[in-house]
Amino acid sequence: MEVIQEKTQNGSAASEVDVHRREFLKKLGSGVFASLLMPILFKDNFAALADEALAQVDLPELPEPSPEEDPLVRMMRDLQRALKKPLEQRKWTMVIDLRKCVGCHACTVSCIAENKLPPGVMYRPVIEEEVGEYPNVHRRFIPRPCMQCENPPCTPVCPVNATYKRPDGVVVIDYNRCIGCRYCLTACPYNARTFDWGEYYTEDVGFLGLQPYEQVDTMEYGLDWKRPEGRSPVGNARKCHFCLHRIEKGLLPMCVVSCIGRATFFGDANDPDSLVSELIAQPNVMRLKEELGTRPKVYYLM
Amino acid sequence: MKKPIPKWVYVSSGVAGLIGLAALVWRLIVGIKITWLSSSVPWGAWVAFYIYFIGLSAGSFLFSTLIYVFGQKNVEKAGRLALLSAVFALVTGLAFVWMDLGHPWRFLNVFIHWNYTSVLAWESLFYIFYIVIVLLETWLLMRYDLAELRDRSTGWRKSFYQLVAAGTPTPRSSEEKQRLYRRSLRWAAILGAIGIPVAIGVHGGTGAIFAVVKARPYWYSPIFPIIFLVSALVSGAALMTFLYAFLGDRNDPEYKSIVQSLATWFILFLSIDLLLMLAEFLVGYYGGIPDHIKVLDAILFGPYWYVFWFGQMGLAVLVPILIYIFKRDSVFWLAVAGLSGVIGIISVRFNLVIPAFVTPPIPGLEHVFDNHPRLAFSYFPSPGEWVTSIGMIAFVIFLFTLAYGLLPMFEQNNEVGAS
Ligand code: SF4
Ligand code: SF4
Repeated sequence: MEVIQEKTQNGSAASEVDVHRREFLKKLGSGVFASLLMPILFKDNFAALADEALAQVDLPELPEPSPEEDPLVRMMRDLQRALKKPLEQRKWTMVIDLRKCVGCHACTVSCIAENKLPPGVMYRPVIEEEVGEYPNVHRRFIPRPCMQCENPPCTPVCPVNATYKRPDGVVVIDYNRCIGCRYCLTACPYNARTFDWGEYYTEDVGFLGLQPYEQVDTMEYGLDWKRPEGRSPVGNARKCHFCLHRIEKGLLPMCVVSCIGRATFFGDANDPDSLVSELIAQPNVMRLKEELGTRPKVYYLM
Repeated sequence: MKKPIPKWVYVSSGVAGLIGLAALVWRLIVGIKITWLSSSVPWGAWVAFYIYFIGLSAGSFLFSTLIYVFGQKNVEKAGRLALLSAVFALVTGLAFVWMDLGHPWRFLNVFIHWNYTSVLAWESLFYIFYIVIVLLETWLLMRYDLAELRDRSTGWRKSFYQLVAAGTPTPRSSEEKQRLYRRSLRWAAILGAIGIPVAIGVHGGTGAIFAVVKARPYWYSPIFPIIFLVSALVSGAALMTFLYAFLGDRNDPEYKSIVQSLATWFILFLSIDLLLMLAEFLVGYYGGIPDHIKVLDAILFGPYWYVFWFGQMGLAVLVPILIYIFKRDSVFWLAVAGLSGVIGIISVRFNLVIPAFVTPPIPGLEHVFDNHPRLAFSYFPSPGEWVTSIGMIAFVIFLFTLAYGLLPMFEQNNEVGAS
């Protein structure tokens, strides 16, 4: 996250306003033409760029395996094993143990912080259900990330091939190509896709105004997205991507790391020794809306 | 002679149209946040208007094929009106869906990165193909009249006719013109015949955009594209009834019978549409799938119940049918029936799109998402959406009246003989 530190505070002298306006108009004019021609002139290179950006660096060093180690350490070890394999042999999978989820919403919030999610965009809400009648009430909590379906209904509907399933099974969105038609939002049976409306939580908050923490670039897919300048992903569909930018560097997804109940597990289901492989072989496993043939890669333990 | 359009129509539609254009520019600068859409209700008024106008276009065009392909001579005089409406309605529909994109300036991506599994991508091709056919057919039918107008007029009008006549030679005599026009009619029949499957693809396909979405039981039904098509025919016939009653030649002895035939087609299509709708509701309620019933309940008894009961049932069904039963002899009332249908179908379109989003695909999600308006499972069009929508429609009406004033909307054989 070096970019965050590099980001300098904008001085807002009054004389700058005029310059800004002129620049804005210039940008608008040339931007219109450029964006019409861009896709013709330049080869679309999101996949290549993302692959390059995600290319592994030195993986974090882990302690010697021990029987009492935290599941997070075990999963990091699983992760490193998977990263040594070629992309198409990995099958990233998430397991959520509903018995352990305490409904703290830490994953929701840490995901928002990790990916700088604006209003209207939420990758991992935690559904709360109340069962029974007072005083015999129970509450249960169901975190709902993107299911990263094996057979996703959201990708075939995209008119411009902007969203697709990677060889490792993660369904991604090419922000540079997406035209923002929101067809995929309607097609996801899990409501896992949201839209970036170009808003900020703090823009209308009285005298404080737009806060700097909302003005940092988002680094999804390992690329530097200049959202604060009004560019993509503003106007794009956005969804959970299993924190690809983290897992490719040997780190677990943010929701897994921040889960205080240790309820969320992550790893490679193609690796028989991984923790997730063990967990999804349990009898109490289920997936949401399996009857639709989506084959989710997010499993729930009940 | 063609009846001139009253001045107030030009002025009011022109002024409202300018406001609409300004609103469109504002939307392009500020962005899509001027809407009150949310991530859970991602399609709203603009998409409803998009399918409304695509339907109006396909309906008007299919109606014109009744004349040019299937030889329904009794309504022939409404033929060019139908084609011109088809052109304008299609362009309006495309403007609405374009304005609805998060990145309007990237629309060319649809052709550059065309995805054959996407109904929306197929539709983009259909729209292009369709507009070419409709424009060509309209031009073929008008070209000799345009050539004559070119020879008769002066100033900017002459340049305009020169441009649109595109070098069509002037017929030397009215006999030759008759002969040439008959040849044009033959070509129009061929184009119209090609146009029928294309128009069905255009609007049935627009229905299929929704019908293939298995995530939403209300949409996911084979009857959905058919309902789209039939209600397109309803709106097309309603528009023709209204336009011909409003614009047709009142001194023509056939005038009244033409309006009545148009109204009969309108009521016929309306009855089929009603039947389909009945099937949709009965089967849906009988099936009892929660996600499906919740949507049907929302349509009938939800917060926007009046859209169904006043718009869909009142304006689009009851008013036209009652008028047709009791006031069939009055052209004025038939025009009212047509207008009522044209406006009422707008509610049908709203109810085809928006209610599908009111039920959370995952139960319980509403308790999280309803906490922020940009995530909530509720929607009402924002002032910005209203202004852009009404303004753009006004602008199109303005352009339509201009085109109507300039173009030869009715056959001009008699005039040629006289002059
Ligand atoms: S959960 Fe929704 S967004 Fe995620 S892959 Fe499946 S269909 Fe697509
Ligand atoms: S919103 Fe973007 S990713 Fe989704 S279907 Fe439209 S173009 Fe494709």
